[in-house]
Amino acid sequence: MTSGDRLAGGSGAAEGSGPARESGVLAELRAILGRVTGREQAAVIAPGTALFGDDVGLDSLTGTLLLVEVQHRFGVDVAAEDLNLDCLATLATLAAFIGERLPARDAR
Amino acid sequence: MIKCVVWDIDNTLLAGTYLESGAQLPGPDPELLGVLRELDHRGIVNALASKNPPAAAEYVATVTGVPFAAAECGWGRKSDAVRRIIDDLGLGADAVAFVDDDLLERAEVAAALPEVLVLLPEDAVDAPSWPEFSPAVITAEGRRRGEMYAQRRRRQEEARAFGGSRDDFLRHAGTQVLIARAGLDDLPRLHELSVRTHQFNSAGAPVGEDELASLHGSAGHRLVAARLRDRFGDDGIVGGALIDRGEANDSGVPPDAGAARSWTVSLLMMSCRALGRGVLDALLAALCQQAVADGAAELRIPCLVTERNVPLRLALTAAGFRAGAQPQPGEPASFARPLTGSLPGLPDWATVADRP
Repeated sequence: MTSGDRLAGGSGAAEGSGPARESGVLAELRAILGRVTGREQAAVIAPGTALFGDDVGLDSLTGTLLLVEVQHRFGVDVAAEDLNLDCLATLATLAAFIGERLPARDAR
Repeated sequence: MIKCVVWDIDNTLLAGTYLESGAQLPGPDPELLGVLRELDHRGIVNALASKNPPAAAEYVATVTGVPFAAAECGWGRKSDAVRRIIDDLGLGADAVAFVDDDLLERAEVAAALPEVLVLLPEDAVDAPSWPEFSPAVITAEGRRRGEMYAQRRRRQEEARAFGGSRDDFLRHAGTQVLIARAGLDDLPRLHELSVRTHQFNSAGAPVGEDELASLHGSAGHRLVAARLRDRFGDDGIVGGALIDRGEANDSGVPPDAGAARSWTVSLLMMSCRALGRGVLDALLAALCQQAVADGAAELRIPCLVTERNVPLRLALTAAGFRAGAQPQPGEPASFARPLTGSLPGLPDWATVADRP
């Protein structure tokens, strides 16, 4: 993802129908995961991949960076809205958690 | 040596929020006001970085009566604001500390400017007693801390040039984490850590040396200290854990052979200076191993759920701990994991030594 894509704001991820929006979120999350973990394979994982498993290898430092990027990109403060961090189980659960919170914000 | 402290305003220097307060503007935080004055007195420069209109900076300067060398108010990234202050004042990033109550702001600045010392407001209350904030005080400990900061700078420079993954760099740096039962000599440092750690502290309450000594002498409890060193330097004890072995009592009577026992970690803590060096992951893996060796079936780590200890909750989640129901505000969440199946692996740079 280029910086130009990020500046384009909500286009792609935040528009369109539910499934299209969710796949946009997935694609952006893969790019973010690749950046924060420094692992190229994290950018091509399947939705069911465990974020704390060997493929992504999220830990306390990279996890914090992920939450920061998610807040900047999607405006969702995961740490405040999911105190137990259950939504960080897999790529799919995190994408769904973010997807559920996007429409309300876009409807304003 | 820190030459400039960049302060957040809302809920940091002010005991409340500037914009939300309407006619009733909040006053300065009394403890931090003392820190501001003390730093100014020592010739350490104060500056502001706030997501507020510029009037907020003028208000803070007025109510504190302390001069600010720079003020960056706006809604951009805090790391950009800190970078502009560094450039304006002609400082090195390693001479700057940043204080903010907001986890995400701290993480954003820490990621963009790794040389900047990133602190919670609670950390800043202690800061005037730290050697890096005390130009005139040269104690043995101060000289040691000064040397530790020089080591940190050399380590960061090499890490930037290294290029590989974080784990590869930890291996390359000869990182060693030694996890062992704490000795009596270790208790003052464990007490200090219980007071000073906030971002990586499960209980949020200090433990006195007397209480540590009594736990040290109790068969039903165990104290663990984690030491960290690499070829850049020796950081000494940077983490610790207080464990209740789940015995019914301290009389030496073994519990029922059939009863499943849990280890409960009443306090898990790590210095924020050891962040990113694999200590917490190693400590959690070692605690799982030692609990299994002691015959426990489950490891419990009650953990207060606050915004400031998100990194600790992430480390617990990564090590396979799950919290039960959403806890009541102010109550700890009961993070726990069974000690069956695949346990978190001990990193190859960690050593577990068990005293007899």
